[in-house]
Amino acid sequence: MTMPAFRLERPRSLADAVSILATHGPDAMILAGGTDVVPNLQMKLFSPRVLVDIKPLAKNAQLASIDWSPANGLRIGALATLTSICESPLIREKFPVLAAAVATIAGPLQRNMGTVGGNLCLETRCQWYNQSDFWRKSLGGCLKKDGPICHVAPGGKFCWAAWSGDSAPALLTLDAEIEITGPQGARRLPLAQFYKNDGMDRIALGRDELLTAVHVPARMAGRRGNYHKLRVRNSIDYPLAGVAVSMHVDSRGICRDARLALTAVNPAPLLVKEACEWLAGQPASPELIDRVAQQAIRTAKPLTTSGSTPVYRRDMVRVFTRRALEESWRSADGK
Amino acid sequence: MSKQLIKLRVNGEQYELAVPPNKLLLDVLREDLGLTGTKRGCDDSSCGACSVLVDGVPMLACVALAASYQDCELTTVEGLGTLDALHPVQSSWGDAGGAQCGFCTSGFLISTKALLDRNPHPSLDEIREALSANLCRCTGYMQIYESVKLAIERAAAAKAAGAGS
Repeated sequence: MTMPAFRLERPRSLADAVSILATHGPDAMILAGGTDVVPNLQMKLFSPRVLVDIKPLAKNAQLASIDWSPANGLRIGALATLTSICESPLIREKFPVLAAAVATIAGPLQRNMGTVGGNLCLETRCQWYNQSDFWRKSLGGCLKKDGPICHVAPGGKFCWAAWSGDSAPALLTLDAEIEITGPQGARRLPLAQFYKNDGMDRIALGRDELLTAVHVPARMAGRRGNYHKLRVRNSIDYPLAGVAVSMHVDSRGICRDARLALTAVNPAPLLVKEACEWLAGQPASPELIDRVAQQAIRTAKPLTTSGSTPVYRRDMVRVFTRRALEESWRSADGK
Repeated sequence: MSKQLIKLRVNGEQYELAVPPNKLLLDVLREDLGLTGTKRGCDDSSCGACSVLVDGVPMLACVALAASYQDCELTTVEGLGTLDALHPVQSSWGDAGGAQCGFCTSGFLISTKALLDRNPHPSLDEIREALSANLCRCTGYMQIYESVKLAIERAAAAKAAGAGS
C-alpha cells in the first residue's frame, strides 16, 4: 500500500500544536504513536492535507508523565506510552483494572509506540471499513466512507462501526476525566461524555483541540478490578468484546461501590449503569451476578462488524461479566 | 510531493537524506540506506517483521514516518553484530535453528535484543510475552524460544569471561 501525500508538521510546543490545528481545521489530523493512524492512512481512510506529529511534545514532561498524589489523584499525560502505563508499579498497585486492560492492547511492539491519548481517540472499526481502498471501492464503499449504504445494517442510516479500544472501558470504571486543550485553553470532561456512540462521529473533540491528559480521582485508588477481552489471538488483535470491572469491597465482603463497562460491542465504550445501582450494598451471590450479567448483554449491541458472530460476542459479554465480578469479590476477600 | 531534508542516526552512522514527508521509516531504511534486513511483512503493524530499536526500545518501522524519528538513535538488525563477530542472539539463532525461511528473523532478533538488554535472565513466560508481537509462520516458535535460551547462556558466559579477564 502507499501513503497519501500530506505536509508534516512537528510542533515543539502545545501552543504551536493548537495553533496549527486551529489554522487548518478539518484538513489537519493528529499523529501520535501511529499504530492506528498510519495503517488507516495507507488504506486511504483518511486524507489530511496536514499531519500534525505531536510526539515531539513528549519532551514536555507534563504531556508524557504519570503522576499521583493523594490530593489530586492520578494524572497521565496523553503521550504516555501504553507500555509505561501497564508497567507502572503505581498503576498496577492502585488501579489494577487500568493496568490489566492496557496490558492486553495489541502486543508489546505496538504498546511501545501507542499512547493513551491515541487509544482513547482510536478510530472505530468495522470489517467493511478497515480494508484497502481497492477492496472498499470494489464494493461501492460504505456509509462511513465513500458509499451510500451500511453493509452491517442495510437500509439504516446509522454507522455501527465498533469502538475497539481497551483503555477506555477501564478508565470509565474509574470515573476518569480527560483534559482537552484548544485555542481557549484547557477544559475537563468526564470520559463518559467524550464518546458519542456513533460509528461515524465517535468523540466530542473539536478539530482545533487535542486530548492532553487523563485524570482519575484519588477515591478510586486501591479498588479491585480486572478486564476480560475476547480476541482470536492472545496478542496483537483488537477486542471483539471486552468487560472491565472496578469494585470497592469492604472487610465483610459487601460491595460498597462498583462500575462495569463494555467495549467493542457498541460504537462507544459504555458503562452498564444498572450494575452500579444493583451491586452497591450487596454481598456476592450467584443470583445477583447472573442478573448483572444479563443486564450487561442488554447494553451490548454487537453487529456483524467483525469476523466473529454477534451472538458469540454477546454471549461472551455475559461470561466475562460473571467472571470479572466473581474475581473482584474473591480478590477482595483475600486482602 | 516535495522532499525534505531529514537527519537520521542509524547503527551509529549519521545520515542526511532528502525524502518526502510521507515516507515510512521502513522504506527509508530499505530503499535509501540499503538496510534490507528490516522486512515488510503485513504492512499494517501486526506482524513485527519490520522491528527496529528506537533508543533501545523495539518499535515497528512500517507505521513510523522517517521524519518523526530524527532525534533518535536507531538500530536495525545490521547494527547488532558483524559477520566476524555476531551478536549472541544472532549466533544462537543459527545454532538452535530459530530461523527457517528467515523472513521474521530480524524482527525477532530486535525484540530479543531489547528484552535481554532490559532483563538478562527472563523466564519462559517473559520471553513469550516479549516476543508476542512477532509472528513466525514456519518454526512453531519452539526453536525460537530455544534460540533465546541459548542466547541468554552465551551472553552470560561472555559476561563471566569478561569479568574474569
